Amino acid sequence: MSAPRGSARPTPRAHDVGRGVVVEGDRFDGATSTPRPPRRRLDALPYVLVAPVAIFIVGLALVPAAFTIIESFFKVDALDPPTRFTGIGNFVEIFQNHTVMNSVANTAFYVVVGVGVSTVLAIAMAVLLQHPFRGRGLVIAILILPWALPGVVEGILWSGIFDPNSGLINGLVATFHLGAGNAVLLGQNQLLTLALIEVVQVWQITPLSTLLIFAALQLIPDEIYEAAVVDGANQWRSFTSITLPLARPGIAVAMVQALIATLNIFDQPYVLNGAASTGASVTMETYFISFQNLNFGQGYALSLLVALVTVTLSLVVVRFVYRKVEL
Amino acid sequence: MKRRQARVTRQRAALAGLTAVALLAAGCSAGGGSATASGASTDFSGVTITVALPADSPPAADLAAFTQQTGIKVNWATSDWDSLQTKISAAATANTYFADVTNVDWSRVGQLGKLGWFQPLEKYLDANSLKADMPQLGSFTLNGHIVGVPYDSSYMVTTVNTDLFAKAGITTMPTTLDEYTNDLKQIKAKGVVEYPLNIPFAAAEGLSTYWYETTGALGGTVLDASGKPQFTDPSSPGYKAAQWMVDAIKGGLVPPGNINVNDSQGEQTLMAQGMAASTLSDYSGLINSLYNVKDSSKVTDKIQYLPTPGVTGPAGNLSNPDGMGIPKQAKNPAAAAKFIEWFNSASTQEDFSGLNGQDKVWGSSFIPSRISVVEKLAQAGGLADGTHLAAMLKTASPVFPQGAPTWYPTFSNAVYTNLHAAATGSMSVADAISAIAEVANQQARNG
Amino acid sequence: MSARRHPLRSVALGLVILWSIVPIYWAAKSALQTESAARSRPVEYFPLHPTLDNFRILLSGQGDVAVGIRHSLLNIVIECTAATAVTVTLAALAAYAFARFTFRGRNVLFYTVLATMAFPPNTTLIPLYRIMSDFGLVNTYTGIVLVYVSGFLPLAVWVLHNYFASIPTSIEEAGRIDGASRMQVFWHLVLPLAVPGIISTALITFLFGWAQFLFPLVLSTDLSTQPLTVLIAALQGRHVVPSTLMSAAGLLAIAVPAVIALAFNRYIVSGLLAGSTK
Repeated sequence: MSAPRGSARPTPRAHDVGRGVVVEGDRFDGATSTPRPPRRRLDALPYVLVAPVAIFIVGLALVPAAFTIIESFFKVDALDPPTRFTGIGNFVEIFQNHTVMNSVANTAFYVVVGVGVSTVLAIAMAVLLQHPFRGRGLVIAILILPWALPGVVEGILWSGIFDPNSGLINGLVATFHLGAGNAVLLGQNQLLTLALIEVVQVWQITPLSTLLIFAALQLIPDEIYEAAVVDGANQWRSFTSITLPLARPGIAVAMVQALIATLNIFDQPYVLNGAASTGASVTMETYFISFQNLNFGQGYALSLLVALVTVTLSLVVVRFVYRKVEL
Repeated sequence: MKRRQARVTRQRAALAGLTAVALLAAGCSAGGGSATASGASTDFSGVTITVALPADSPPAADLAAFTQQTGIKVNWATSDWDSLQTKISAAATANTYFADVTNVDWSRVGQLGKLGWFQPLEKYLDANSLKADMPQLGSFTLNGHIVGVPYDSSYMVTTVNTDLFAKAGITTMPTTLDEYTNDLKQIKAKGVVEYPLNIPFAAAEGLSTYWYETTGALGGTVLDASGKPQFTDPSSPGYKAAQWMVDAIKGGLVPPGNINVNDSQGEQTLMAQGMAASTLSDYSGLINSLYNVKDSSKVTDKIQYLPTPGVTGPAGNLSNPDGMGIPKQAKNPAAAAKFIEWFNSASTQEDFSGLNGQDKVWGSSFIPSRISVVEKLAQAGGLADGTHLAAMLKTASPVFPQGAPTWYPTFSNAVYTNLHAAATGSMSVADAISAIAEVANQQARNG
Repeated sequence: MSARRHPLRSVALGLVILWSIVPIYWAAKSALQTESAARSRPVEYFPLHPTLDNFRILLSGQGDVAVGIRHSLLNIVIECTAATAVTVTLAALAAYAFARFTFRGRNVLFYTVLATMAFPPNTTLIPLYRIMSDFGLVNTYTGIVLVYVSGFLPLAVWVLHNYFASIPTSIEEAGRIDGASRMQVFWHLVLPLAVPGIISTALITFLFGWAQFLFPLVLSTDLSTQPLTVLIAALQGRHVVPSTLMSAAGLLAIAVPAVIALAFNRYIVSGLLAGSTK
């Protein structure tokens, strides 16, 4: 699911109670504020309440994931039955497949550029919005628009901007006499194509990053800045020594959501450049391998690799960028 | 132990008995309810079938006539060719229903036949009488089973805008590929049009078929009977064809924007708008259905078919007929078969080609698959540039003489992605060729 | 940093707004033009001779394209609404349990549910397709809604859990003392307080549903269930659909999410940030 990831950590609340954590302000909870021996009678209600969610998650998320992991070690090819064990065969084929490797290179570009640019932009925008001003609510409302719209349709909107004949960019080039104004922007030059596709994705993922960092910034008390001014710090110094470090939790979560989105990019290259290998992403290749070539085993193997890379990189980001901030 | 065995044996006998009864019952009802070729129409009243083809629907009046004749309602679902193929695969591997009648492309017969995704049609149709009038039925048959019925006689053909050629001072039409290329250069040099040649370089099936046709023009084929590539040597027709195509866009004969243009877009936005002077591998029947249609074309009466410019003289054409078949999971196979029979009957094909009035015409680049109808059409003057067409139809040959391999989709994907990449300049023609060959060799090895 | 009015700030804010709006504006401009006007040189930055033709074709035309677009619009509305209703209901129940009860396996289950948010679509796409096909649910509303729900539940549970946890327990305590059962407390006392959270969750879930592409691309094979997003992408590649008509179709596809995002942005923002803004 192309769902942006979660939010900043909540402050300790009711659910922490009962595990030996004393929290101010709580008077009643489902359990007491000190650990207590488990009840004798099994309380069915909570299980009933979580059962539907548990069933969905187990049946439609965990089971399929397990399926992917297991079947990636089998040859499951509609054109080459029967299904049989093949160990790391699928993985070896993947690494030898030029088209797949090309899509890996493309995706690496998308990830580096996408996470980098969207995070920098998000920090800038969050700082811009940090302190209240008239109309801030309206700006935020407009800001989240790109996040709210389907990636596919965003691809279509932007292809209108990139169009060689009637697009905005070529129009501006012609108006400002920078060139003929009919250049083919997508599909010709690989670097340009990759960059333009990623621009569209950055457009889509930056709003959530901005909100996440904005939320982190809200927790920074004004007093810290005032003290810094008293100590003679200028704006830039305040930014680098106060804002950035204290926003790290938000930045980390923003980077992780951008990472997941860029690693799994599909909608934008599919709509903007079709099946061409110029901009193809790993998810697109997985789709073609599975549904066009019907080699499901290889599709599973590729999915598994992407999942592992996602988890690894997310952990790296969290390890190096996240820092628990006590304010 | 013995008692349990006895019980199991009794259970088995009961099961066998039940199965026999069930089979008998099924046999009886199948026998009673099956529609013979000219069976009663009341069998199907209230039945609706879904027909999914990569073409717009025929006029409502035609379909209404079918419903009146047979009681079967038709739900027509148009789709683009590439997505339709994916849908067919997806539905077949998932064992789900998505249509009663759908596209069986000439290139997919091998794959579809081997995988058993389509119902054999010989039990519903009279194969022998059909074959006499539809020579291409052969390429839709695999191991004696009819996988699909070709509904048109589509083949690849060179189209030229005679007006633009004349404006550039070309008085005799080219007969060889070299003459053709020179003529195009002349058209460009004289400033008649900036980019005279249309090649759809988008990474889609249309690019693959263009390459096959160009290879055919140079006198060769792309794969041999066992699926081995025939284009790896730089002097081979396939290699030269790829080189010619890529040189054309690099040399300015093809619009740079064609990197993102597929075959239908090229037809409609370039040829039909008078912005291209020629398409080497266009589709037969387009003059009737697009170029001479006032609403969609600015070049009415200006386009003609040109015998394929070959090596030393005109070369033949490759056929790419579209067919229709019944997917395995169809809900109403008998009704679907009735539809196929009606759609491809001589009288319906005559209607679709306009022999019985303009209101019955089916506008999807239609040259009927029945020879008898094509001849009638040519005689009645209903085929634009009919003399050229009919002559070329007689000599058209299939792209893969032994039928398309079962792994055709993977092969075609390799062809169009690599040729596209070569056209953008991100790989050389040599590398593109070897990448395509590698895929072919690998697939042929796996069988 | 005190509230210093830096002159560049307004410029920066203007850029931010422009950046967010330009593609939408361009599509709107294009949708209001005829195809020849759109292709004219020099490029028109503003529709000089606006026409509502494109919208008229989409909303009342009888051609394949227009009919398909209207049908898929209906599909997407049905699928998103159903998925949202089911997701929010189930997530609310589970989130309340996670927030208020301790029971064996609670933490394991809670973090497992959240962890599935990190699964890339890759890991579940193909097996889900095969599971749905085994149950004959490919190309059905049911199948699509089930898949959506499974994907949206984790975030919904997270957001609602935070809302429930932030409600002081004194109210429930009072209710229990008065003799209400736990479910009555939930239904009559807690839920009304959690309405903002529920609205946020519902809106966010609805928007996610609207944005889906890859999953319905695979799971819905024809017009009977295809959402608008899938159909529009298919139109891009097909016969030539004029760019102005495509722009109009694009606007139609974003109209609903854009209105929701603009009108309800406070709910959405607070839901995403789950109680950490002031």
